[in-house]
Amino acid sequence: MSAADIELVDLHKHYRKGRIDIPALDGLSLTIDAGSFVAIMGPSGSGKSTLLHLIGGLDSADSGIIRVGEYRLDRMSERQLTAWRSRHVGFIFQMYHLVPVLTAAQNVELPLLLFRMPARERRKRVATALEVVGLADRMDHRPNQLSGGQEQRVAIARAIVTDPDVILADEPTGDLDARTSQEILQLLSLLNAEFGKTIVMVTHDPRAAAFGQRILHLDKGVLDRDERNPARPAAAAHAH
Amino acid sequence: MALPLVYHWRNVFVRPTTTTLTILVVAAVVGLLGWILGFAAALRGSLAVASDTHKIIVIRRGSTSEGTSALPPAEFNKLSQVTGVARDPQTGRPLVSPEMTVQVALPRKRDAGRTTANVAVRGVDPERAFAVHRNVRLQGPVFATGAQEIIVGVKAAEQFAGLRLGDVVNLGFGNDRGYRVVGYFTADGGPLESEIWGYLPSLMNAYSRNAYSSAALRVAPDEDPQKVIEQIEGPAIQLTAKTEAAYWHEQLRLVRGYLVIVTGLVLIMSVAAVCSIANTMFSAVAGRTREIAMLRTIGFGRGRILVGFVLEAVLLALLGGGLGCGLCLAWLQFVGRTKDMLGASSFTTLAFEIRLTPMIAAVALAAVVLVGALGALVPAWRAARVQAVSALREG
Ligand SMILES: Nc1ncnc2c1ncn2[C@@H]1O[C@H](COP(=O)(O)OP(=O)(O)O)[C@@H](O)[C@H]1O
Ligand SMILES: [Mg+2]
Repeated sequence: MSAADIELVDLHKHYRKGRIDIPALDGLSLTIDAGSFVAIMGPSGSGKSTLLHLIGGLDSADSGIIRVGEYRLDRMSERQLTAWRSRHVGFIFQMYHLVPVLTAAQNVELPLLLFRMPARERRKRVATALEVVGLADRMDHRPNQLSGGQEQRVAIARAIVTDPDVILADEPTGDLDARTSQEILQLLSLLNAEFGKTIVMVTHDPRAAAFGQRILHLDKGVLDRDERNPARPAAAAHAH
Repeated sequence: MALPLVYHWRNVFVRPTTTTLTILVVAAVVGLLGWILGFAAALRGSLAVASDTHKIIVIRRGSTSEGTSALPPAEFNKLSQVTGVARDPQTGRPLVSPEMTVQVALPRKRDAGRTTANVAVRGVDPERAFAVHRNVRLQGPVFATGAQEIIVGVKAAEQFAGLRLGDVVNLGFGNDRGYRVVGYFTADGGPLESEIWGYLPSLMNAYSRNAYSSAALRVAPDEDPQKVIEQIEGPAIQLTAKTEAAYWHEQLRLVRGYLVIVTGLVLIMSVAAVCSIANTMFSAVAGRTREIAMLRTIGFGRGRILVGFVLEAVLLALLGGGLGCGLCLAWLQFVGRTKDMLGASSFTTLAFEIRLTPMIAAVALAAVVLVGALGALVPAWRAARVQAVSALREG
């Protein structure tokens, strides 16, 4: 069980499309406590996904500091970031991105291929992860034999199987109906509460954001509002 | 099976049509490659066997083969002057074998006798011939000198119909003398195995010949064959002499040319196979951009992605390779193992026994791995260039 805090200082990230310069992040600063569950909201194009990519080491900023736990991502090469991602972050996508030709268990096992780990240990971890998301009985099902909600659960199992410090989710319920969304969000809350994972979740749905202990509002690449969610008080710090 | 293998193996079958087409193209290349490698090995084997350095073939000056040579007994007798020739330990006679060859058209077994091909019929004197042609070994009796009998090389027996024991083959100038097959012989797989042998005086009589075609001569073990050749080609005798190796090397010129042509064909087909693999892999990569981006996101490096897609292409190619080897084996099994070719100037059929040995299959499959890897290179490179962020960007 481990968790990392996140510190972002004066982040700038611009995209260039021909002659047009699009400021996706425009001097954003932010700290996120280890073991907290943070929801990020904001209008389309406000830079939410860009922010998540930077925290996840998928892209690099034009300037600014990105620290996740003890790692300074802004000082790492692409190769180092790739290795770092495999060990320290779990990603959850809106479209799940399961591999259609692999079973649920094999999908969950994928990230472990990047670890030096005996097959038995891998199987044990996969079984545990699938149990946590409540799909122990669907191990051998292919994605097309699962419902959307079940697919997202498998994706969550894949995100936690490496026991990462941070879980990043971009619109994880964007493709699910209201009831299934609630189940997925409860599962994320559980990962946060029981396993102390730091979770950063982008959403445009206020009901989803309500699961966060803290709700950040982005607008035009800067932090517009930063609210504590009174309904979900932050748990005592889990870190260390 | 290891998970990466499972992943790529299953993905091979995601696009059944292009995968099947590619497998067929690769199979065609490998099938032909296996066949041509087998043929080349048979040719090399033949040449290796027919490379007795101490056996010299003598023909008339200016002739290029036994078939176009005539050697009257007077000319032949001059060979007794040559020094350095091995002698029969019993009789002390020099080991020089007068021989006559004719071409006879016989029905081929391959198409149930509908077409014919030339086979060389050689008249020999058994006492001298077997001492000179040391690798000829009888299976069964030799022809009797007083009867119209022949013995048949095992490759000729395989190739031509009507050469079973007891069968009668019509030979002679008027094609009216029946010679009975009484036995077979081997020659270590060399070209002589494609021939039919009979008694020299009997055949000369049948063909109304008064000249031999050629002479075969054995050089004494401690003598230099080149010295013997110089004497024969010198002013006193004025005939043409070649070691067996040199003689067959020339005779197999056409066969080698044929090999070069088929090899060229295999190369062209290989290029087609590489393109087919590349095409399949391009669509595989294009269809899986999001999946690749996901893998990049969860920490798979560019190198791993690249290697993965090369592996996938190699798996695909190996499927084709396996099928190709199977087809080649089936062809050899059911259509025929022997390939006949004309000698360069003798118009005699030389039969080669083609075998797809494990070694040849391994070479063909290694070529397949190369074809797969080459075809995968550009698509796999493209896969490795997929940006991780594109998995998260949904639209
Ligand atoms: N790869 C890109 N190329 C050009 N512009 C981009 C790219 N990615 C994002 N943008 C732009 O950056 C801005 C922020 O995008 P994004 O972070 O995806 O916003 P959000 O997730 O809040 O909708 C938008 O104006 C978007 O059009
Ligand atoms: Mg977005």
